[in-house]
Amino acid sequence: MLSHAFVIQVAASGAAVAALVGLAAWARIARPLDPLSEQSARRHFAEEFPDHPIEQVWVAVDGAGALAKSGASALVLCRLGDGYVARQVPWGQALAATFRDGRITLALGDVAAPKAVISLAAWPPKDLAA
Amino acid sequence: MIKSAFDPVTLATPFFILTVILEIVLARLGKAEARYEVRDTAVSLAMGLGSTIAGVLLGGAAFATSLWVYQHRLFDIPMTALWAWALVFLAEDLAYYWFHRLSHERRIWWAAHVNHHSSQHYNLSTALRQTWTGDIAGTWVVYLPLSLLGFPPAMVAIQKGISLVYQYWIHTETIRKTPRWFEAVFNTPSHHRVHHARNPRYLDRNYAGILIIWDRLFGTFQPELDEEPCRYGLVKNLGTFNILRVAFHEWIAIGQDVVRQPCHVLGWIFGPPGWSPDGSRETSRQIKARWAAGRAAEPEQRAA
Repeated sequence: MLSHAFVIQVAASGAAVAALVGLAAWARIARPLDPLSEQSARRHFAEEFPDHPIEQVWVAVDGAGALAKSGASALVLCRLGDGYVARQVPWGQALAATFRDGRITLALGDVAAPKAVISLAAWPPKDLAA
Repeated sequence: MIKSAFDPVTLATPFFILTVILEIVLARLGKAEARYEVRDTAVSLAMGLGSTIAGVLLGGAAFATSLWVYQHRLFDIPMTALWAWALVFLAEDLAYYWFHRLSHERRIWWAAHVNHHSSQHYNLSTALRQTWTGDIAGTWVVYLPLSLLGFPPAMVAIQKGISLVYQYWIHTETIRKTPRWFEAVFNTPSHHRVHHARNPRYLDRNYAGILIIWDRLFGTFQPELDEEPCRYGLVKNLGTFNILRVAFHEWIAIGQDVVRQPCHVLGWIFGPPGWSPDGSRETSRQIKARWAAGRAAEPEQRAA
């Protein structure tokens, strides 16, 4: 059974956590992150997937993500906080992904990154959909 | 519930809080190099709090086992002797090196340790992003030889706490380099930044706790290079701030792999992170080899 002192210690630590998170919010010292451009998206893809030559890139309309075609793979880049998360899925899966309200939702099949949502002007691309 | 009467980590908690405040305020004032993202910070601190609770709830088996081993000890080492503390300092730090190395090189132990590396930031709050499942993973078995030698389990527990407190302050970008003699002997912010980096060159390096000499001795030392800034996080970064996914995602992934291919259960559990029977995934060693091959090919490509 947990001691009374330990419960107090945990409660005080919880309050301290809340205060520190508040302080971090006040400070506004996250990494400055410009919206992705095609050039910066390509740079990120090259860093994350050095062995994957990029055929075409689609950058999100809000600059918070990008999708690239590399052979039979779709490379996915998604903003999370002030960083990016990258994953690779079969190209066919990307083509078949749900596109609704200007957003494509991709199931990434990874418990650590379950899905990616990217705002695109249109999907799938007409020239590659066949 | 078993908890040492003298716990360096509990005693250091006010120091942790004050220094996180200091780092944030100094960064806000432009006097320190530190970046804090709100949700990332919340996850790191909540993981730290959860780790304390998990340690109290689940640490009993580890402590009880060390007590049992201690009953069969080879020597009687007094807790009151100065030489004994000097000896336990070295012995615990060596055990920590191997605990930490195994935590990176075997998937079952990586599952318990991965959350500490899951932030894309490197600041004092990252130090507090601690495991909830270390006691379940059984990483503590590496410390049992110390009890067998004759170090009292309480003494080992205190030294482990001292090591953890030491490792707190090295989780910062604010301190660039310490004096050369210190960098040569001790684990420093610079050495540990390398350990947290996902650059192929830096993967699986600098496992030290307090003394960096173990990495130099066992060939895992890598200095931080000015020409290659550290990029922090995992080879495949997390796509969520959901704390339950942060804490358990690798355990779930292991379970999914084992269920899908039970005939490869040993490889899935005890293989290195990134191992797969068909080679469709990459281990750190393979990533480093690919990076090295690409680097070797660069001058030839330039010459052509």
